Amino acid sequence: MAMLEVKNLCKRFGDLEVLKDISFNVEQGNVIAIIGPSGSGKSTLLRCINQLERADGGTVKVCGMDMLEQKDGKAVYASAKTLQQIRLKIGLVFQNFNLFPHFTVLRNITEAPVHVLKQNRADAEKTAMQLLEKMGLGTKANAYPCELSGGQQQRVSIARALALKPEILFFDEPTSALDPELTGEILKVIKSLAKEGMTMVIVTHEMAFARDVADHVIFMEKGLIVEEGAPSQLFGENATERTKQFLQRFSEG
Amino acid sequence: MSFDEIGKVFLILLKYLLPTLKVFGMTLLFSIPLGMIVALLKMCKVKPVSWLMNIYIMIMRGTPLMLQVIIAYFAIPMLMQNAATPAWLNSLLSGVDIKGDAYMFRSVLVAFSLNYAAYFAEIFRGGIESIPKGQYEASACLGFSRTQTFFRIILPQVFKRVLPASTNEIITLVKDTSLANVVAYAEITMKAKQQMQLYSSLTPLVLAGVMYFVLAMVLSLLSSFIEKKLSYYK
Ligand SMILES: Nc1ncnc2c1ncn2[C@@H]1O[C@H](COP(=O)(O)OP(=O)(O)OP(=O)(O)O)[C@@H](O)[C@H]1O
Ligand SMILES: [Mg+2]
Repeated sequence: MAMLEVKNLCKRFGDLEVLKDISFNVEQGNVIAIIGPSGSGKSTLLRCINQLERADGGTVKVCGMDMLEQKDGKAVYASAKTLQQIRLKIGLVFQNFNLFPHFTVLRNITEAPVHVLKQNRADAEKTAMQLLEKMGLGTKANAYPCELSGGQQQRVSIARALALKPEILFFDEPTSALDPELTGEILKVIKSLAKEGMTMVIVTHEMAFARDVADHVIFMEKGLIVEEGAPSQLFGENATERTKQFLQRFSEG
Repeated sequence: MSFDEIGKVFLILLKYLLPTLKVFGMTLLFSIPLGMIVALLKMCKVKPVSWLMNIYIMIMRGTPLMLQVIIAYFAIPMLMQNAATPAWLNSLLSGVDIKGDAYMFRSVLVAFSLNYAAYFAEIFRGGIESIPKGQYEASACLGFSRTQTFFRIILPQVFKRVLPASTNEIITLVKDTSLANVVAYAEITMKAKQQMQLYSSLTPLVLAGVMYFVLAMVLSLLSSFIEKKLSYYK
């Protein structure tokens, strides 16, 4: 079943067309990697799907619910209630974590389950502790974000997103703000989520990782999908010239 | 002045500490929430609303508080005397008792609250705008409503950030309460001036100064205490 269906998605900032006609699907359990040069619109794509930006055109369907539809040539968003339902079906992990600095690690994770899903606090804390154990942060429940390393903060933010039991998890360059020696721990967590069958869409500059963990890779440039397919296709000999060029420049650093 | 006299003056001034604290406390009670509302309205996307708030803040900050207190005190009596005042306004105003001490206090409170709200509004706006956009985005992605985001995520962080600047304002307010004596509101400064004339001595004024100083010190210690309490996060 397609968990996410994006068709002809367009987004403009003033005169700048950042997304031009983006279409792709995400099946349940799939891991999609999105790669592409800076400014190609990768973040904007995730932000449109996560309702942080308003798209100008196209359709988006999440878990069978219409989020954005095209009516009489106009992009129409679903009702506030549906949008909220959709919001809770998906989670987004940011490049710079965006943890709540005034809450402990535990409270960062339980705040939304308690106040949005109206779970009782004891249950929410139990789930949160399980997630923290899984992230190898069982001892940090009462620490504040500023007391953690970047890698630990990012793992907390992944736990925070998972606490709402999303159907799809989006990552926007989850390791870009981290020291190279800390990226490994995050990639490990994402890999283990992939093994559990979590549906994920990951924007990344870690090509080896994309190749290793993704079922499907999308190469974006200037607001368009230039090429997409299995990692063996995009990272192999039969990729288009443009993709090869990008990857080559990438490996040169 | 003899020790006995100084003691007597001190007790009189101590009695008038209460009206001083009343202006201080009530002004905070009104100006802080009002300042928050003004700050939010100033950030409002509806341009005329934002301009209106701007003009309000500019007037409050651009004119002396003493003048504002005088205007607040005399505005209603003057309007009532003026023949040009429309009848509906007159009948509205005629219900106001402009004689008693209560009226005096209320007019002082109106001027102080409106004035301090303008200063607090600017501090709060700065605080709210200094919170990174990512906090709003993370909250939105987690499904928090706008109200929940403001009260649970943004406001606690704003509180910590505006505490130092607000403390400055609050300490200034303690000292500004002395301006209420311009409309003969009986508080410490007014009484100290009377006692000065009575005894032909500067000592009552020095005593009043000591009282303000102690109040300011207490507030500043209180603020450092809260700041320490909040230093568990950055
Ligand atoms: N809020 C905004 N207002 C105006 N322009 C924007 C805004 N957000 C993004 N852009 C522009 O849209 C284009 C795409 O930005 P986007 O952040 O989606 O790229 P990206 O592929 O994520 O790049 P990177 O790899 O550097 O993160 C850029 O040219 C950027 O300057
Ligand atoms: Mg980006």
